[in-house]
Amino acid sequence: MKLITELNKKNINDYVDYIDGVVIGLHSFSVFNNVVYDVDEIKELSNKYKDLEMFIKIDKNIFNDEIDSLKDILIELSKLNVKVMFYDICVLQLVKELELDIDLVWSQTHMVNNYKTCNYYYDKGVKYALVSKEITLDEIKTINKLSNINTIVEVVSLPSVGFSRRKLVTNYNKDNNSNFKDLEVLEKVTNKKYLVKEEKAGTGFILDEVLNGTGLIEDLYNSGTSYILMREIDDFLELVQDTKEYISNECKDKEYVSKYEKLGDNTGFFFKNTIYRVIK
Amino acid sequence: MKKVELLSPAGDLERLKVTLLYGADAVYIGGERFGLRANATNFSIDEIKEGCKFAHKLNKKVYLTLNIVFHNEDIDEVEDYIKEVVDAGIDAFIVSDPCIISYIKENFDVEVHLSTQNSTTNYETVKYFKDEGIDRVVLARELSKSEIKEIIDKVGVDIEVFIHGAMCTCFSGRCALSNYVTNRDANRGGCAQVCRFSFINKDNKEFTMATKDLNMARYISDLIDIGVVSLKVEGRMRSLYYLATVIGTYRKIIDDYYDNNLTEEKLNIYEERLSRVANREVSSQYFLKEADYTDQYYTGRKEESNQDYLGQVISYDKKNKLLKIYERNYFKLEDKVELFTPKGDNIIFNIEKIYTEDMEEIDVARHPDNIYYIYLDTDLVIDTYSMIRLIYKSDYEVKD
Repeated sequence: MKLITELNKKNINDYVDYIDGVVIGLHSFSVFNNVVYDVDEIKELSNKYKDLEMFIKIDKNIFNDEIDSLKDILIELSKLNVKVMFYDICVLQLVKELELDIDLVWSQTHMVNNYKTCNYYYDKGVKYALVSKEITLDEIKTINKLSNINTIVEVVSLPSVGFSRRKLVTNYNKDNNSNFKDLEVLEKVTNKKYLVKEEKAGTGFILDEVLNGTGLIEDLYNSGTSYILMREIDDFLELVQDTKEYISNECKDKEYVSKYEKLGDNTGFFFKNTIYRVIK
Repeated sequence: MKKVELLSPAGDLERLKVTLLYGADAVYIGGERFGLRANATNFSIDEIKEGCKFAHKLNKKVYLTLNIVFHNEDIDEVEDYIKEVVDAGIDAFIVSDPCIISYIKENFDVEVHLSTQNSTTNYETVKYFKDEGIDRVVLARELSKSEIKEIIDKVGVDIEVFIHGAMCTCFSGRCALSNYVTNRDANRGGCAQVCRFSFINKDNKEFTMATKDLNMARYISDLIDIGVVSLKVEGRMRSLYYLATVIGTYRKIIDDYYDNNLTEEKLNIYEERLSRVANREVSSQYFLKEADYTDQYYTGRKEESNQDYLGQVISYDKKNKLLKIYERNYFKLEDKVELFTPKGDNIIFNIEKIYTEDMEEIDVARHPDNIYYIYLDTDLVIDTYSMIRLIYKSDYEVKD
């Protein structure tokens, strides 16, 4: 099992000895990023870090007027040793139409939920999938068992929970005559905070509470998960170093798990089934 | 010229019948599993059979939503269900999961439509699904007129768009707010509409993002002109009265368009009629511009109840000139009301006499769910499922 990270600054060099791969936001085509790279920068990174797996994130909803530039970008990326994480199915279609040789990662946030659809995409040539954060550990294990796809599981992050095309912070500012860049809002019943971040593509919602899946990395390791993904939080370098060592030692070190209980008890949906019928 | 399809929601068998009688060309319904309105009434297999039989007699169609985002446990059970539903006579499935598309197309001779849950926003994605055998794509609600037109022009697959009803704040499928806030799974039909909740910003002011509703009455001509094949109304949980009014009104708009008879004056009347059943303000959202400041609310849920719907007609006794109705809201003598029929006819009149079920003459009908008779002298054919709405209340003083 490999460790990949998504960083908030352009400081891959600090991490390169401890990670197997890195998720890179692509300028104008990724959402939920603190830092993005253009294609030339990605070329430089690819040349500089030849042993590092690069996952280029193309995860915005794509509109007609973006297709031509996306084609050009995919052609350029296909010349590099990188993988492309896609949300919009048009990426798969363009790779097919242009006959590009490029590794694809099915990365449809809340929709990567079952083994048969993973196999469907695998048969279409998509060899990797970033599984949904809203399914349980058992469901992930079943996907690992019954699907051919190489799974990526997000274990540490401030989880993204929704994305709108609307400019919700701009609208809020206009209504309140304020000038917030981002908002931090409280949901009153659950008393949980969400970050509301506006960018060119729209507005994203992020739960302001760390998803802490460090305690189940061993289960993921044993069930055949191909990659775990950690998105940058506070004191990230130490976490990454420790996690790399933990995986290298076949996830046997109980102290690692104890140490990272400090990240909190939010294990997301790993042990919590959602409901969808309300009992009346 | 093939007419554009008017596609209505139907939450149960009675709504299915009413909305088809009021002019829908097709309905979409949810079965007891795998649809995105898990908490609606939904249809059993026997009800699907009856609904299909009813629709097919009228030469109309029934589509079934199978558009949840499947988990392992769902996907293992869906294949048997698909067969049952095909046998029940369904005309098309509305799906979002591509592996279900392949399964249906490989095993059954039935149409498959791509759900808006997939948030399809560009022509290359439509091409992908066309290659997968999809018969129709329901586009994302975030698209403009020119974007829709470009997709139609470039791909040549049937395109359906929403024309009326509630909107999501986020892209469909790309929202798990309900999962995180209420543990109800939005992509499996449990959406708690958290985007209509009110949050608190750190300046202690309310933050809300609830959208106004979509109303495309004024742009139906544009949608037909650019080649959209199906116009969809949102709302499988809406009432009979809502469906009768909305579908009846859009039926008239579409028919007037094809008859070259859709005047500004008529549009104003139709918009006013639609506004009588609206419980939120409306806009055309992304159709003409990017949705902006004007297309949402800033203070929590904004829904107003509507008491215009006075009752549903059970029968008309032509000899005694008595209309038998099932009351839904209070009415009294001299109120000005409108009776409208599934065929699109209407009469406006003042209530002259009211009787109880026991034929006792009264001056006010106070009890919803009771049967009353209203005096009405008309030669109009008044079918079952005709309805009465309030135009305005009279000043009549009710005696105690």
